[in-house]
Amino acid sequence: MSRATRPLRHLPIARNLRDRRFQALAAALALALGAALAGPLPLTRSGVAVLAVVDITGSMNVRDYTVDGKPASRLDTAKAALRRLVPDLPCGSRLALALFTERRPFLLFAPIEVCADFAPLDGALDGLDWRMAWEGDSRIAAGLHRAIAMAGELDTDLLFLTDGQETPPLPSTGLPAFEGRPGAVRGLIVGAGGYGLSPIPKFNDRGRETGFYGATDVPQENRFGPPPADAESREGYNPRNAPFGAAAAEGTEHLSSVREAHLKALAGQTGLTYAHLAGPDGLAGPLLAAATPRPLPGRFDPRPVLGGLALALALAAFLAGLIPADGLRALPRSSPKSRM
Amino acid sequence: MGAFVASLGVAAAWPLWLLPLALLPLLRSASRRSPVSAVSAAPADPLSAALGAVLTAAGMLALGGLILALAGPFRAGETVTRTGIGAQVSMLIDRSGSMNETFAGRQPSGAEESKAAASRRILGAFVGARAHDLFAVTAFSTAPMLVVPMTDRREAVRAAIAAIDRPGLDYTNVARGLGMALSQFGAGAPGVSRALLLVSDGAAVIDPRIQAQLRAEFAKVRPNLYWLFLRTKGSPSIHDKPAGEDTPQAAPERHLDLFFKSLGVPYRAFEAEGAEAVAGAVRQIEALERDPIPYTEIRPRRDLTAYAYAAAALGLLVLVLAKLAEADFLRGASRPGDARAAQADRDPAPRRAAA
Repeated sequence: MSRATRPLRHLPIARNLRDRRFQALAAALALALGAALAGPLPLTRSGVAVLAVVDITGSMNVRDYTVDGKPASRLDTAKAALRRLVPDLPCGSRLALALFTERRPFLLFAPIEVCADFAPLDGALDGLDWRMAWEGDSRIAAGLHRAIAMAGELDTDLLFLTDGQETPPLPSTGLPAFEGRPGAVRGLIVGAGGYGLSPIPKFNDRGRETGFYGATDVPQENRFGPPPADAESREGYNPRNAPFGAAAAEGTEHLSSVREAHLKALAGQTGLTYAHLAGPDGLAGPLLAAATPRPLPGRFDPRPVLGGLALALALAAFLAGLIPADGLRALPRSSPKSRM
Repeated sequence: MGAFVASLGVAAAWPLWLLPLALLPLLRSASRRSPVSAVSAAPADPLSAALGAVLTAAGMLALGGLILALAGPFRAGETVTRTGIGAQVSMLIDRSGSMNETFAGRQPSGAEESKAAASRRILGAFVGARAHDLFAVTAFSTAPMLVVPMTDRREAVRAAIAAIDRPGLDYTNVARGLGMALSQFGAGAPGVSRALLLVSDGAAVIDPRIQAQLRAEFAKVRPNLYWLFLRTKGSPSIHDKPAGEDTPQAAPERHLDLFFKSLGVPYRAFEAEGAEAVAGAVRQIEALERDPIPYTEIRPRRDLTAYAYAAAALGLLVLVLAKLAEADFLRGASRPGDARAAQADRDPAPRRAAA
């Protein structure tokens, strides 16, 4: 037996194996090796596929939001909310964009992936403008019903951003009937606008702002269809010649606030969820809650977990040196010899 | 070397605050402690001192490597600008209601394809075939609509083209559409070929006031202008002179063509009366737009986390082997009186085996 190998027999291997610090270091080694070799694990995450329909009618120009201390229009706030929503969606989620005016949505593009195609998506959202509108009407109930059908065709959920102001006002018969199946398309109606009445800016045909709408500029009452039940009590009522009464309709249709009651009724009719847009932030939460989670191929990186555990174990092995392994027979010393 | 260091980064910076913990092995050891009455009584042993230094270094490597790995080190990717063959293509697409009819002017039935569906199919293939082009999509009917800004993301452009066979709107207001399609080019690099591709099935009178503005814009941007006129059977051609007065109101197609010819930019009109003719026209445009264009290629970042874990594992391996080869100064000294000599003998050897 050589001089070099003889002492190996005297090593207290069993005791070394029982040493907690050896066990900690060995486990840390195994974890670190695992982390060095581990690849990402396949995982199913949930994302969303959403058709965002943005109301670009005149009442969306009302400036009743404040962003950075400056008044901001509902459309600008809705745009900002959508632009902040995109990076908050899990990668692999898809967003389609449509405009709404008149009585129907107009699809700008089919769903686009929110991470890889972020730049064009963000640019398209930034490019939204009320000047893209093709008609002045704002028949929101009809538009919502068609937007739901469009979302169904695209196999997406719906995010409908509007202030809920119908122009012309709804007839006395109330909401038009919804022909789809309530709840077949899930999604969120987002009510934009403040709760107080604000004036609606008016623009000329060159797109320049020229003031605000007055009470006589807009229809205050919908006089198509049968007259309302209280018509008989109106002044100058005549069943044939003045079924809506003789006086001009009065109202506040030239002013605008978010019509939450109307939007909530629409949400109830169509099986969607309603949320109020308080500002440019916080759209992701209600949307993710309302939308259908869609399985997306994701990846889980196990390395931080393995590495964190390894670090904790290795640190514990060193810090345990604060307490002598064999009890408190001697004060800790840190000369090289005492480390044996 | 300097560039290599500059390209290094970490995914999360906060774990780096833990790096001072990597100095812990200088103060503490993971080995068992043996009480010795007087360390200075032992003879100086360079081998033991060296082994101690190796163990300290291994401990620092293990802790430092793990902390660094948690921060997720990487070598940054880079964007390389290369030159390819292509152009900036701004597509201006008619979304008026008549685009949803067939080339025969009827509602499509059965296997018939509407003008919008044909252009969707053919333009989609065009976008897919061009590797280094930049595309922008603008739609117009009553008002112009910015659909997708100038981008090299083909999927986004295809998604925009996929929407063009949806029911259209009312009118064909081409003037404002042209203005927006021109604005899509942006400042851009000098010397890049620019193409404006107008796809419509009709024309409209351009207001003389807007004509002057458009002329100025065209002179500034100087794109190659292509008009893909999807002609419905029986409707006037762009070359037909009307029987009566030759006014823009009577023959808007002819006068839009004349206006385009008067702009002084390279211009070609393609009159297509069927899907094959559209495909042929797009092939010609593709052959014409063959100029060098700079494009960017992104080289992905390289993840260095695995190397940090491997370094940590090496340090841990040394520590584990050292722990395994640990001897006890007092208990191992079975032969009384020879303890110190035995230890001096014994210790270096297993350590050597360990290292």
